[in-house]
Amino acid sequence: MTLTCFVPLFFLSLIAGCAARPLYPLPSKLSNKNRQPIQTLRPYNIAHRGSNGEIPEETAAAYMRAIEEGTDFIETDILSSKDGVLICFHDVTLDETTDVTKHKEFANRKRTYEVQGVNTTGFFTVDFTLEELKKLRVKQRYIFRDQQYNGKFPIITFEEFISIALDAPRVVGIYPEIKNPVFINQRVKWPDGKRFEDKFVETLKKYGYRGSYMSKDWLKQPVFIQSFAPTSLVYVSNLTDSPKILLIDDVTIPTQDTNQSYWEITSDDYLDFIKEYVVGIGPWKDTVVPVKDNYLQTPTDLVARAHAHNLQVHPYTYRDENLFLHFNFHQDPYQEYDFWLNKIGVDGLFTDFTGSLHNFQQWTSPLSQNNSSDEGRASKLLDKIALLISSYKNG
Amino acid sequence: MTLTYFVPFLFMSLIAGCAARPFYPLPSKISNENRQPIQTSRPYNIAHRGSNGEIPEETAAAYMRAIEEGADFIETDILSSKDGVLICFHDVTLDETTDVTKHKEFANRKRTYEVQGVNTTGFFTVDFTLEELKQLRVNQRYIFRDQQYNGKFPIITFEEFISIALDAPRVVGIYPEIKNPVFINQRVKWPDGKRFEDKFVETLNKYGYRGSYMSKDWLKQPVFIQSFAPTSLAYISNLTDSPKIFLIDDVTIPTQDTNQSYWEITSDDYLDFIKQYVVGIGPWKDTVVPVKDNYLQTPTDLVARAHAHDLQVHPYTYRDENLFLHFNFHQDPYQEYDYWLNKIGVDGLFTDFTGSLHNFQDWTSPLTGKNSSDKSSASKMLDKIALLISSYKIG
Repeated sequence: MTLTCFVPLFFLSLIAGCAARPLYPLPSKLSNKNRQPIQTLRPYNIAHRGSNGEIPEETAAAYMRAIEEGTDFIETDILSSKDGVLICFHDVTLDETTDVTKHKEFANRKRTYEVQGVNTTGFFTVDFTLEELKKLRVKQRYIFRDQQYNGKFPIITFEEFISIALDAPRVVGIYPEIKNPVFINQRVKWPDGKRFEDKFVETLKKYGYRGSYMSKDWLKQPVFIQSFAPTSLVYVSNLTDSPKILLIDDVTIPTQDTNQSYWEITSDDYLDFIKEYVVGIGPWKDTVVPVKDNYLQTPTDLVARAHAHNLQVHPYTYRDENLFLHFNFHQDPYQEYDFWLNKIGVDGLFTDFTGSLHNFQQWTSPLSQNNSSDEGRASKLLDKIALLISSYKNG
Repeated sequence: MTLTYFVPFLFMSLIAGCAARPFYPLPSKISNENRQPIQTSRPYNIAHRGSNGEIPEETAAAYMRAIEEGADFIETDILSSKDGVLICFHDVTLDETTDVTKHKEFANRKRTYEVQGVNTTGFFTVDFTLEELKQLRVNQRYIFRDQQYNGKFPIITFEEFISIALDAPRVVGIYPEIKNPVFINQRVKWPDGKRFEDKFVETLNKYGYRGSYMSKDWLKQPVFIQSFAPTSLAYISNLTDSPKIFLIDDVTIPTQDTNQSYWEITSDDYLDFIKQYVVGIGPWKDTVVPVKDNYLQTPTDLVARAHAHDLQVHPYTYRDENLFLHFNFHQDPYQEYDYWLNKIGVDGLFTDFTGSLHNFQDWTSPLTGKNSSDKSSASKMLDKIALLISSYKIG
């Protein structure tokens, strides 16, 4: 008897349970209007592949850690899976930063392809579907960094990356790269004749990224689109007015799509041309200030000329480990930040160590709205004094 | 004719030249009364072997660089030459940090002695006269540090070290160690039955180092005498009231003179005993907070107990290179400073990177009065106040 009553009741409660509204809405469902806006008063802290000094690169955990540590932008490299899903991953091959070699079921996927003129052998992302990629686990690229998270985190998609930014407790920008577009477009075909760049912009638009640099729309959802391939940047210019950055590789590497040399793409004429499409450049830092025997040489005039063309400069990449620090900095990563921000005067830094850069900036150039203590104290003091002397008012 | 007059004239001018007073007196001859005093409001920045992250250890250049970078104390290890001259040098052997192996004339000086229970082979300082030591040149100990000063600087004496401190443009303390006294007293004999410790204190007395911690005399010429050997510290207590620091080695190393274990000399009973002779302890940092697999474990209670016995704590040694940084600090040396100064709460740090520690302290806990921006905003405030009250002027 009780059972006959129990079963419908049970069913009823299930339905009620599934339809109930959660008491605590998920972060991305909250109104975003009162989030702390992005800072634009001092050079940008760009979390290069997330806080990968601490956590394996391009994972959700690395990005969330970077947001926690105060980054302005989380940066990522967009490649594609075999089935055309845009993923966050730096290398075209999976060997260096995943456990792919431990997966016996993928053992026969090893290939050799030409990538930017170099024959490369390995397990390529473009030969794995998203479902297969999700079986892999990411590991720390550098042996001298913390290994404790190896094998814990999966590869994430572009959309998952975007939701991390949108879910942040304050406004955090995204800085995705159209990575190896020549190679991707050779290996992956999308329906309706769409290209890699089309899918890239589609994804941004789907999540509401729009507006030119410093526009109201942009400040709500800041973004920089970066690429080493000028034709990709020109192409997406027709699709979105989001600000773009031209990345510039070492002096020996020509552009993958137009085969132009470093010297050509950093000439005044070229900067005149490219400034129609980009708001800045992202050069390899050792070309901005050349290095010999691990000592800095005289800086080039690239920053001055870029600034003269109204182009920002966001060099890459800054790392705390002394093997990456030139002797002028005495193994002190903060000296390197000081040199680049205060002597060379760039507009943003790609760093593997979000926390260190944030510390440096907070300690030496705190944001005035954050440092409410000084101004607040001063005005409180003035109020007290005004009160004190009001009793001595004439009359 | 002219020549007869010229020669005496030449002689006269030579004598006058030798007896003339220099227009610009040497720094140590200037009155020291107006020098910026030593800071005592925040933990001490102790330049361990000078700024040896940048310049080979224990050289004049390394010490002068440390003073330039803001050290509160310059630290050194005192050993002896064959002829009993006290020198600044860390190792009992010359092999690691000098070019002694390049000097063919000393090739036959290699010896094997027992040092603190370990058979050690090499070229010992106690087998070279000062004149011979002065022919050597110092090298950077670590291969991953700047090598450009190798072979440029000589070993300096204790007296030369002291004059570097006294000649500094502000008050800089010295922090000399009575190093390997058991070994030195075995190998070197001084006249009149004097011991190593006697000559050590004699040198300090000669240059006017006196007075207990924080006394007027001490503030003019700050000094800490450090040693791993408690009997040496007890012995010199009868010779000087300058403050002393008891150094504590790793948990496996017994004291060289009394053969006591780490656990014994860090016990409450021992701290009760030693506090009559010393004002603080200098422990190896990885015993204060143990380490496993390059991660910090739970801190011990050593700092709390030391402080309870009114003893300062000056741990050693802090280095910027990531190979020396535990993973909790994410390869950021400033995180390590933050942890030790703000979480553990020690009273001084022995660091190879004076500049980095100085930056950290200056940026996060600036000395009041030194921060000129504070002064200027304060005077602006006063101006505003004057304006406020001017309207209430009587009459």
